[in-house]
Order: sequence, then C-alpha cells, then structure tokens
Amino acid sequence: MRLVLTNNGSYPRVGDRPQERKLRVAHTKFAEGRISERDLKDTENWVSSEVIREQIAAGIELVTDGMVRWHDPVSHVAVSLENVRAGGLRRYFDSNFLYRQPIVEGEPRWVKSLLADDIAFSVKNSTRFVKGMLTGPYTTARMSIVNAPEYKDDIPKLTMAFAEAFANEIEAMAQAGAKVIQIDEPMVLRHPGDVGLVREALALFAEKKGKAELALCTYFGDAAKLYGDFQDMPVEIISLDFTYSEDLISNIEMVGSSKVLGLGIFNARNTRMDSKDEIFHFLDRVLPRVSTDYCYLNPSCGLEFLPRDRARKKLELMTSLRYRYLHAGGQ
Amino acid sequence: MSREHLTKLGITLPEFPVTSVGSFPKPSYLKKAREDYSAQRIDQEALEREEERATQFWIEWQDQAGVDVLVDGEMYRGDMVTFFAETMRGFEIGGLIRSNGNRYYHKPIITSAVEWVQPITIEWFRFAQSLTEKPVKGMLTGPYTVMDWSFNEHYENRRDTTIGLAKEIRKEVEALVEAGCRIIQIDEPAISVRPEEMPLAVEAMQICTEGLDAYFISHVCVGSFDQIYPQLLELPVHNLDLELSNPDVDIMPLLQANVPQKDISCGLVDVHSREVESQDEVDARLSKALEIIPQDRIWVDPDCGLKTRTVEEAQAKLEVVVAAAHARRESPSE
Ligand SMILES: [Zn+2]
Repeated sequence: MRLVLTNNGSYPRVGDRPQERKLRVAHTKFAEGRISERDLKDTENWVSSEVIREQIAAGIELVTDGMVRWHDPVSHVAVSLENVRAGGLRRYFDSNFLYRQPIVEGEPRWVKSLLADDIAFSVKNSTRFVKGMLTGPYTTARMSIVNAPEYKDDIPKLTMAFAEAFANEIEAMAQAGAKVIQIDEPMVLRHPGDVGLVREALALFAEKKGKAELALCTYFGDAAKLYGDFQDMPVEIISLDFTYSEDLISNIEMVGSSKVLGLGIFNARNTRMDSKDEIFHFLDRVLPRVSTDYCYLNPSCGLEFLPRDRARKKLELMTSLRYRYLHAGGQ
Repeated sequence: MSREHLTKLGITLPEFPVTSVGSFPKPSYLKKAREDYSAQRIDQEALEREEERATQFWIEWQDQAGVDVLVDGEMYRGDMVTFFAETMRGFEIGGLIRSNGNRYYHKPIITSAVEWVQPITIEWFRFAQSLTEKPVKGMLTGPYTVMDWSFNEHYENRRDTTIGLAKEIRKEVEALVEAGCRIIQIDEPAISVRPEEMPLAVEAMQICTEGLDAYFISHVCVGSFDQIYPQLLELPVHNLDLELSNPDVDIMPLLQANVPQKDISCGLVDVHSREVESQDEVDARLSKALEIIPQDRIWVDPDCGLKTRTVEEAQAKLEVVVAAAHARRESPSE
C-alpha cells in the first residue's frame, strides 16, 4: 500500500513572517487604489507559487494553489456565474471564518472558466501533480440565497443548475492539467437524505473530467452514515474527515473500500500536533481494508484555519509520520 | 420582571432604553497610534493616552446623543477574544488567521490551564464610568466563545475548556460588580455554531452569572438562529441582544412562535451596510418587534458592534435609533 501525501484545498495565504504578508498588503493597497488589478494578480500568482513551493518542500506530492485567490470557498466560483452575485457575510459552518452568501437571481450560467488559468499557472510552477478545487453544486445551492422564483425552495433544481454550470469548469480545469479535481460537499453531511442528489450532480462531472480524476470530499462532520453511499459515487477518490467520529473507522473496517480514500486524519482545526500513536493505530485499522494500491494521506480539511507556521508543521509531520510508518517499522 | 430587578440595582431607565452592542470605530488618530505602536515608533503610554482620548470622545458623544446605557467602545481592544487571552494565564497568542476577505486576527492557543490573574476590563470600566452619570455597561466575552475562538492544546475536550474558562471569567464578572458595574454584557457570538452544545453554553453562563447582583445581557449573532431557538432562552441572563435588521436572517417568525420572557435588545440598524436607515425604516422594525414583545421588555440598539463602520456612519446609525426611541416615548400609543 502506498500513501500519497496531499493538501486538502486551502493553505494560509498570509503568515507572520514579513515576506508572507505580501498578499495582505497588496489587497489593502488595491482597495485604496494605490496598485492596479494587474499588480494584485501578480502578487496572487507569486503567493500561489510560494505556497506550492512550501507544500513541496514539506513533502507533499499532490499540491493545490492553496486557494489563495479565493475570497471564500462558497462564493468564489459561484459568483463567476451569470445571474449569481455576492451577498452578505455568514459564518462558515462551525468556524469563525465568514463567507459571502451567493445570491441566485436567475439561472446560474457558466460563461467562461474562472479556474483554468490558475490551474495552468500551478502546473507550470509545480514539480508535483496539481489538484484543482471546487465547492460542489449541492453545497453551493444549500449555502445560497435564492431570489429567482424558479429555484425557490427547490434545492434539487438549483443543485442541478449549478452542476451543469460547474461541469464546464471541471472540463476546463482538466484541460488545464489538473491531475485530480476535488469536489467539496460538506453540506451533504448535514442533509444525508440528499446524497442521491450529490451523486446525480457528480455524474455530470464524470462525463466532463477528461483525464482528471475526481475526488468527492466532505469535512466538518461525521460521514459514517453516508460511507456506504459514497462507495457508489461516480468518482475515483473519496476524501473524508476522520476527526469527528470513531464510527467512520468502524464502517471502513466492516465494509472496506474499493475506492481510493483520502484519509483526513491530521486535524486541520487545531494547532496541536497529532500524536504518532493515534495516527499509526488509525492506519493499522484502515489500510488493510482498502483494496486499491494507494491512499491519500491529508489534513482533515483546508489548512487555512491554522496559522501559516502550524500549517507547514502539519504537512511536515505528515511526511515524517508516513516515513516512519512505512519504512521505519513504525518507529 | 427585569425592570424591577434594575430598580433594585438602583437603575432607572426610560422606555425603549437605547444602548450599543459594544464596539465603535476607532478614530483616525487612534488607528495611527496603533500603527505607530506596532512599528515601535511610540511607547505603550503614548498609545494608552490616545485610547483614553478616543474612549472619552465616544462616552461624551453617546451622552449628548441621548444614548441611555453607554459602552466604552472598546478602543483598547484588537478583537474580542485576543484581548482577554493576552491578560489571562494559559494562553499563547498564535499566528495570523483570516476571518474573511482581507481581514486577519491572531487566534489564541490554550497551552496550559487558564487562569484569571488580574482584572482585565476594570480600569477601563472605571475610566469610562467616571466620565458620565449614565450607566456604562461592563463588556466581556463569554466562555463558550473564548473556547470556540481559541485553539486548545491543553484540555481534554471542548467541555472541559469551556467550564475551565467560565470559572475564571466569573472572577472578572465579580471584579466588575465590585467596581460598581450593574449592567454587564457577556457576549456569546459563537453560540450558534454547534447547536448541540447549547446546554454547555448555558451551563458556562450560569457559572459566570449565578448569585451576582447585576443585570446581565448577552449578545449573539450571525448564525443559524433557527437551530438554537428557543433553547437560547435558557441562557441565564436578563436580556438577549438580537439582530433583527440583518436582511439575510428573519428571526421574527421564531420569536413569534416562542415569545421570549426576557428583555430583548432589538437590533434596529444593519451594521454591515454603509447606508443609514431612515427613521421610518427603523420605526417599522420596532413596530414589528412590538407586535411580539411587550413594550416594557424592549431595548433598542444596532444589530452588532459598529467597529467596521466609519465614525460618521456609526454615529448616524446610532442617532437614528435614538430618534426612533425618543419618538416612541413621546407617542407611546402609536
Ligand atoms: Zn454581533
């Protein structure tokens, strides 16, 4: 069994060292009209290449751009669609991060790719494979305000409308060179009855993914109840947050996995460094039940909830514990 | 009835008492002083002088604007958790975390047992209260929120962390009461993030307030109100401060279904928008509240802290709340 190290989406774009503050300063200057949009974009690119470099230096093998250009995970892609605009701030799940609520005024329509250029830039600036990120249509629909009467109180219809729009984005990201495209659907954990809707939406993506592999990812909750359904999803990879419940591990022990798993066991919500014994015990239980020839090892969710230095340390810890687990006889 | 409780505490307030949720924008001279202090161009004493000047500015402004229960405006705070973490033992101040857009804060890390070692807000309370005849609110962040907004490397779980914090924060509440503070607001803006933890938040608040001679208010905001109401009513405080003007959350139907038996501070202006509401708009919101909550249980204020607005916007927003309250007092039957 191989364990491939990946980052679970976001990475802190700003840190406490002076050279890590460039993006924050650039945004301030841009807001004050002191630099151009081009200058801001250049800084974003510079920061994303730094973030990629930092992941690779820490030992990560499938990197992301850290989502450093995203305002927030919910609104960034959604408001790039026609008939969707950014609304007021709301709390993002149980975090103290705020996102802008997308407001749906009509049919969400895809006009041109938002993320393909970012992927191409990452591919050019990375010696490792690149993963693209997308917040899924179901989660986007659940977290939006709906003004358009045709979608009012109709989550299935709105989900599929977003899915059709996002399918074009998936195609563009794949063409731009994303090795894996991770689709985050944390909301389905809160509404497990809607899992069929998520499957239906992912089926649209599967048709457009080209050579890329699709990962379905959930976090901020217990995926135990849905684990069986996830095994039937039209994706190659199922990525899960293991910091919420024991039951999920028991389920895997019982059912096994025919899909590549993303093992989100490193707690991305706490600065405390995860204990070697807990990680090894977890791997001892789960890995024998997985029938694919590799799994991903990753943080439980995006790393933007940690300060930059701790995020870096978490990734380094992943690398060192993987080495010790696989090659040093668990020492 | 809470009014009797207030009277017993020696506080008489008019109908529709006007107050604020807590923070006000920092005047430009204070912003500059804070920058200068960070860059080590001025010393702490020089910074404190500017903080005092700004506090005095806001107290005097509220006094003459007709606000009834004043706040110090939190001129000396960066954010509402870090400020406490800096003074209590057991915390380290962690690196920068993004809270939204281009806003960042230092999220504290609990690395050992938390401990109240000295008064945190008392000097500021005394200073602010010395500038006015009207009551000044004591302003604290609640244990559940401090827990939720910190990393925990020490305690076994969220419960132990919260209870540990509650016992220490109570000491600050006691110190405020001791200093003569009779209206104390303990904010729990994080309370709605995990509805299943509501009993924990209630228990923690109980630890902070039980048996103390004061009128307690708690402000909660930006969350899934539907998930925590009516359980929120179990919070052992006299007054719940709610946002009624956030265009994205309509909590009225919920209040209608379970009419609160507490006093309610009704947020009558949206703090997230620049636009200043007209008095008619504010009065319409107040009318809606009056359909559900009896008049003698209503306080009025903005939805949330005004620190993200400009000084002028904040003043204009509060002025329109005052105007609406005063108009009602003069013609209560309407
Ligand atoms: Zn608030």
